Amino acid sequence: MEEAKPIIEFNDLSFSYKSADNHYALKNINLKIYEGDYVALLGLNGAGKTTLQLCLNGVIPNSILGDFSGEVIVDGHDTFETPVRELAKIVGMVFDNPEFQLSQMSVGEEIALGLESLGYSYQEMVDTITEVLGIVGLSGLEERSPFGLSGGQQQRLSIASALAMRPKILVMDEPTSNVDPIGKEEIFQVAYDLNRKRNMTVIMAEHEVEVMAQFANLVVVMHDGEIVLQGTPEEVFSDVELLESLGLRMPQVAALGHSLEKQNLMNLGGKYPVKLDQAIETYGRLFE
Amino acid sequence: MEPIVKVEYLWHIYPTGNVTAVRDVSLEINKGEILGVIGQNGSGKTTLVKHFIGLLKPTKGKVFVSGLDTSKHLIQQMAVKVGYVYQNPNHQLFARTVQDELRFGPKNIGLTEEEIEERVAQAIEFFDLKNILDIHPYRISFPLRKLVGMASVYTMQPDVFILDEPTTGQDNVTTQTVYHLIRKLRDEGATVLCVAHDMILLAETVDRMLVMRNSELIMDATPREVFSDYEIMSSTHLTPPQITTLSLKLKEKHQKLDQTVLTIDEMVDKVKNLSNK
Amino acid sequence: MQGVVIPISMIPGNSIIHRMNPLPKLMWTVGVLAVSFATRNPAVLGAVFALGLLLVLIAQVGSAYLKVVMVLLPVSLALITLQSIAPAFPRPWTPIIGWGPFTVYQEGIYSGISMALRIFSLTTWAMVFIMTSHPSDIFTSLKRVGMPYTLNFILIMTLQLIPILQNEFAVVLNAQKSRAMKGTGFGALLPSMVPVFVGAIERIQQLSISLESRAFGSSGHKTSYRRVRITVWDIINLLLALVVSGLVTYWLIVDKSLDWSRTMVFNPVFSAILVGISFAGFMTYMVLAIYLVAKS
Repeated sequence: MEEAKPIIEFNDLSFSYKSADNHYALKNINLKIYEGDYVALLGLNGAGKTTLQLCLNGVIPNSILGDFSGEVIVDGHDTFETPVRELAKIVGMVFDNPEFQLSQMSVGEEIALGLESLGYSYQEMVDTITEVLGIVGLSGLEERSPFGLSGGQQQRLSIASALAMRPKILVMDEPTSNVDPIGKEEIFQVAYDLNRKRNMTVIMAEHEVEVMAQFANLVVVMHDGEIVLQGTPEEVFSDVELLESLGLRMPQVAALGHSLEKQNLMNLGGKYPVKLDQAIETYGRLFE
Repeated sequence: MEPIVKVEYLWHIYPTGNVTAVRDVSLEINKGEILGVIGQNGSGKTTLVKHFIGLLKPTKGKVFVSGLDTSKHLIQQMAVKVGYVYQNPNHQLFARTVQDELRFGPKNIGLTEEEIEERVAQAIEFFDLKNILDIHPYRISFPLRKLVGMASVYTMQPDVFILDEPTTGQDNVTTQTVYHLIRKLRDEGATVLCVAHDMILLAETVDRMLVMRNSELIMDATPREVFSDYEIMSSTHLTPPQITTLSLKLKEKHQKLDQTVLTIDEMVDKVKNLSNK
Repeated sequence: MQGVVIPISMIPGNSIIHRMNPLPKLMWTVGVLAVSFATRNPAVLGAVFALGLLLVLIAQVGSAYLKVVMVLLPVSLALITLQSIAPAFPRPWTPIIGWGPFTVYQEGIYSGISMALRIFSLTTWAMVFIMTSHPSDIFTSLKRVGMPYTLNFILIMTLQLIPILQNEFAVVLNAQKSRAMKGTGFGALLPSMVPVFVGAIERIQQLSISLESRAFGSSGHKTSYRRVRITVWDIINLLLALVVSGLVTYWLIVDKSLDWSRTMVFNPVFSAILVGISFAGFMTYMVLAIYLVAKS
């Protein structure tokens, strides 16, 4: 998954909201993301995850004003210089409240919203809509009212609307927090398929650490506007002391390893399993 | 002692579209129990608990809470016995300051100024809100708002607390706070019902779980029993906490693990006991 | 507010009116607007109203229409009552019958009746339009004739928001009752409205960021996904509406003989009964409404 050039680069990015009186929502962010990465963005409420994500499609700093320094390069474009309209074709965004992203009377019109603004022809729109509905598993629902769908379906619709713009990067801000368990599974599955089968770069802020450990190849931990830890799930989730001090959770199977080591019941060399199958193998030895 | 909640052959059919949301449910809850109510959206779990505060009235059957027949009382009357904490605190918050918000409930039930002040003081103490008393509820962070929502129901001093998805979408710090608050409520003798999807929270806090599927109460047992039941878990599309799933898988292969584990601490204890032998 | 659902939305159907393009229907409604404000002649207004009723029958939207009428009725009754004793009309006034401090005037009855008929005819035609046209079709057609894209969007969103906010209001009301709030009275106003407003604002904030992220509203040529059929008949219909309403309006303004305000004489008994029934009817509505609200 490492390409020569990163598809996203944050260089010394700092940002404070206009109303915020010198409180910096982002402080000196340096981060490189490569095409095809599945990035899990972790942190408490207020750590800066949403702010960071809004910097990716140019909404910050073009629409949301504030003190912006440093640079964000997305697929070769400097977000400070590029209009949101252009970046919207590279970066698709999905937010945490399923219903708040919807406005149209039918699923088809909802997806077409962005396409109309880009001047697609009627046939192009129909083809695109059919295609993206297929990808998210909502085929045939063009005429339905978005407000009558379940939370999971609504989020998949928002993903489809984002996909219609043919982005290379999909950014999702806690997409499953207001969705029931079945819906959560649906959303995670779509994200996984997009990443593995279509090489879509996925950046997801989430609290479901067990799932993130399963799918992500890069975990970025934020706290108070800064990136305090980044690495593979194995690397990040093994730093239990730091995560606990920040008030963050890690997959239970990793926390278990740490507890066992601390109480001298097992030696894992400070590296804990982060996925269930790894855990079954590792801890199985205890019960043989 | 009389159970604090009694549900007798409860049916609830929504008039629009003739949808049966609760089908023939009977159960009893004793004072001081902490329960989890789980099931997919549409299983009837929220419909069921709404009956306890009288937000919904039975189509058939009866519901008694603290001795009151819910079909014969207004929501406002039930509110003195049952505190319903909404999932979205914004649905309940409207006052100019947090303090006013806390006073709202007791004022509505007609307490004297002294009594109101006493109750508010107790809530401030319990939820540790003294630093935000004069702030507008919409100026505080969302997790804090959830706490204020809980606190403003606490001031009514109900016998039963119903928490609707208290930790959904919350970060770990807030979740831990909720967990501790539930424990504290239990210490004060309250009865608590948690409608939630957060299995980790439930595994750590509740003694009993009600499982709803397709409008029926399909299981009423301890978390350990519920999580160990593959059929129930898969048919409701719910997943136990990771540590529990780990223990279930290890149990299959290894005899030495004799029990389904609910928390990390429990698992560590099992290992400790094994190594001591 | 929660119990009564006023069906101001499309009623599915296959009548000839349903199949018409929204633009001529809109034009007729605008025409009726012009006509009904160009005159106070009860006969003319009555005829427009009757025509509207005919359309309601053709479109087969009778039952939904009746629900709307239920709201119009108290308004009209109040109008008649008030107008008859205090006409919105240049003096001198001709008294018909008196009762204590109240005097009923010829001009008042005339005024009251024509205002009521005006409301009824306008609403009837507007309802026929709304109940037989899919909102998306209306907006797409408007876009086609040049309505600004953003305005169009605001209208669509507002239409969607009405039932959503109604729902929110019901939820909030229940949430506050769960804190023992009494359902009525001034004390219930703030607790029930503030959360709904906050919710609406949060929603709109989130929506605007979401839309921006999809390049919405950016300048440039815009196309349309939804297509609405427009036939030769629709165009003829549209022109007909324009011409007919234009001519009728002109005629109504110019022909002074249609001003019956000074010539129409109402029988005192008739007037007394009319005002009496209007007043009683209006009061009954009010009492019922207050009772229903108090019960909730």
